[in-house]
Amino acid sequence: MRRVLVKIVDHRATPYVVLGVITLFMISPFIWMGLSAFKTHAETFRYPPTYFPENFTLDTMYEAWYKAPIPTYLKNSLIMCLISTFIIVVAGTFTGYALSQYQYKGSNMVLGLFLFTRTIPPLALLLPYYLVLMKLGLLNTRLAVVFYLIYLSYPLVVWLLKGFFDQFPRALIDSAIVDGCSRTGAIFRIVIPVAATGVYAIAVVAFMWAWNEFFAPFLFIHYDELKPITVGLYYFVGDEYTYYNRMCAAGIYAVIPSLIFFLLAQKYIVRGLTSGALKY
Amino acid sequence: MKLRDSGYGVALSVPGLVILLLWVLIPFSYVFYISFLRYDNMSPVIPTGLANYREVLEDPSLPIILIRTFIFSFGSTGLTLLISVILAVCLNRIVKGSAFFRSLVVMPWAVPLILSGFLWAWMFHPSFGPISDLLMKVKLISEPLNIYKKPSTAMAGVIIADAWRRIPFLTIITLAGFQSIPPNLYEAAKVDGADSFHTFQYVSLPLASRPMLIGTLITLMFSFRSIDVIYSMTPGGGYAKSTYVLGAYLFDYMYEFLNFGLAASASVILIILTFAIGAFFIYYTLKKG
Repeated sequence: MRRVLVKIVDHRATPYVVLGVITLFMISPFIWMGLSAFKTHAETFRYPPTYFPENFTLDTMYEAWYKAPIPTYLKNSLIMCLISTFIIVVAGTFTGYALSQYQYKGSNMVLGLFLFTRTIPPLALLLPYYLVLMKLGLLNTRLAVVFYLIYLSYPLVVWLLKGFFDQFPRALIDSAIVDGCSRTGAIFRIVIPVAATGVYAIAVVAFMWAWNEFFAPFLFIHYDELKPITVGLYYFVGDEYTYYNRMCAAGIYAVIPSLIFFLLAQKYIVRGLTSGALKY
Repeated sequence: MKLRDSGYGVALSVPGLVILLLWVLIPFSYVFYISFLRYDNMSPVIPTGLANYREVLEDPSLPIILIRTFIFSFGSTGLTLLISVILAVCLNRIVKGSAFFRSLVVMPWAVPLILSGFLWAWMFHPSFGPISDLLMKVKLISEPLNIYKKPSTAMAGVIIADAWRRIPFLTIITLAGFQSIPPNLYEAAKVDGADSFHTFQYVSLPLASRPMLIGTLITLMFSFRSIDVIYSMTPGGGYAKSTYVLGAYLFDYMYEFLNFGLAASASVILIILTFAIGAFFIYYTLKKG
């Protein structure tokens, strides 16, 4: 029995078959979304369902873009995510670098604090954020969401960057300093250029977290012209029925930016995440 | 005057520490503070001591909500772990097409959880969705499958939608764990007469256990505390509140009933329970490997 199993498992084709099946599961929602975005509204409510669009139409993609404020939603998402990611990565780079290369008394405690912060459920901090932002008069502004997004991925980013800088060759920094470079100069002239791809990868992770956030903007923003795309998806949920085909079209628009960023940075993200996960 | 290296480290960390204080520690303390207030947006805000906690803890539906929360998070994490390990083993074994398959299976990572819920909700739709239709076409079921009409299947549905989005992360972490194992260990095992199951059990698993464990704990924490999929897939907690978890309970008190005091005490309970998982995460992360 075991012999037979081993033979099956060891067969050259086995991993491909298994991968084929699981990959199909993993991309099936993409396929369904991609097909539905080219169906008419009536066809999405057909029983039994059709798979390939019977009347292939670009109207749905067009309507989602022009009749709903999709471009505005995307613009808002981009603004919020780019600003928050920028702030997080700049502050996080210096903090992560200090925690890794210039340890001080209590730096391990700070590190532990960051680690602890990662266990706080963001959902549980929505309420205090809501109240503070209300008192500051920031509700219904993009800034409110930017504030929250900084909290959301900042601890993760510092942690990943610290793990990343741990692997940075210290000799490179020291030799720059011996050659007359200041410590700060070494950061800008040596560390950041060499570490750029890793920092970029971690920035993409922070960007994706921000891009995917739903509840904070859902609570903080009530004007259509300020909503990001995740909240904007609800535009197609009606009281009587949901425009699934348009939602799929909007879903495609929502996924494309972060998917492009992600696939371009994939190699570095894998390295960035795993250097943090494997070598603490 | 030149700072010593340790002083320089402090100076570099200052902006980051200020952010940590303002952005995390203050809201974190504030939620504890609110949880001791009567803050229901109807009567004046006054301190009430432990009244909010008493009300939440004495809520007769709390035990079942907690059980559902555990079923959801452990179910999602279990499914994620199972598929991730299978994926990582397969990706680790092949050379040709490895990058291609890896790129495809990590794609869900870029999908907002809220969208994952919408997509799976529709795919599981008994009349207009493909899953029920395909199962009927291959004659596995005789009538349309309505997962939303039974608590167990509704839970299974949200677990699949949640796990789908979490598999990429754990796959990457596990795969990296497998790839960090020196190949000569496999050769040595083979020379000693170990078959594939032996090598998996005695070489791959133990040597990649640390990243896998940490990755699994992260996945568990995340699925324990997030309700995006549940919110978009089964609004209001679904049929017979079968997918109504602690996070949804908290959110309802905040957003539907506007009882901020109760919402804050539910938040604190969520914080404490998440920390019960998080403590293991912190312990294994800091433990020198």
